[in-house]
Amino acid sequence: MSSSNIRDLQRELENKANDLSKLQKDIAKNHQVRKKYTIQLGENELVLKELDLLKEDANVYKLIGPVLVKQDLAEANANVRKRIEYISAELKRLDSTVQDLEEKQNSKKETLLDWPLTLQHIAGPMFYLG
Amino acid sequence: MASSKSASGAMTLERMSVEQLKAVKEQADMEVNLLQDSLTNIGTATTRLELATTALNDLSLRSHGSKILVPLTASLYVPATLQDPHHVLVDIGTGYFVEKTMPEGKDYCERKINLLKSNFDQLVEVASKKKNVADDAGIILQAKLKQLASSS
Repeated sequence: MSSSNIRDLQRELENKANDLSKLQKDIAKNHQVRKKYTIQLGENELVLKELDLLKEDANVYKLIGPVLVKQDLAEANANVRKRIEYISAELKRLDSTVQDLEEKQNSKKETLLDWPLTLQHIAGPMFYLG
Repeated sequence: MASSKSASGAMTLERMSVEQLKAVKEQADMEVNLLQDSLTNIGTATTRLELATTALNDLSLRSHGSKILVPLTASLYVPATLQDPHHVLVDIGTGYFVEKTMPEGKDYCERKINLLKSNFDQLVEVASKKKNVADDAGIILQAKLKQLASSS
């Protein structure tokens, strides 16, 4: 095995490792976003429950910046419902992307798992130089 | 029934390798910590709602035209008179506020506190179960490590 060959192998391994860590970062980011949306969904559902309990003539205000603006109960209700719908759709989308990423990650992991052995076998200490 | 179930759980833990056990323990510890954090958060939220309830009770005892000091910042208060002791504005989340009468406001706080309490109880149960798993994994891990040390 020539040294240029070994270097090629090393480079390939590095690339694969970088890809894998990038994927892992993406997955972690996805989880964070998911968490945020889940919290928002919960809060919105609580608000909707509260709005449903109100009487028809209840005064509802929406905080827009520093101002409280009076809003129709029906309008507020529709707004919250729409937001729940949007967040649910977004969560579903995130679910499918995370599934995708995890599949990719697993296949990358498998290919990488076979690597160290072969490399160590042929390159010996060279492997650790990179 | 429950004892046989936990015994089979311990059995699967005993069959695991040291690395697997470490991973299981780490995972369980992390989850326990997360649950503990959630419990603390629920505790603070409950305290705040209880404070709000006391404030409402206090407010409902005042009559129209009472002198009050309104906090503009944490350290600046301005004198004012109480216009309407019968209505309160309740923040129900995500920027929505609802005008409620005094009893409705108290009812709101009570409902929220009850909701939080039931969540708290559920979480305590989950957390103690997780803690048991973590402890079991820790004990078996220790035993395995001792075994390894003595055999080598």
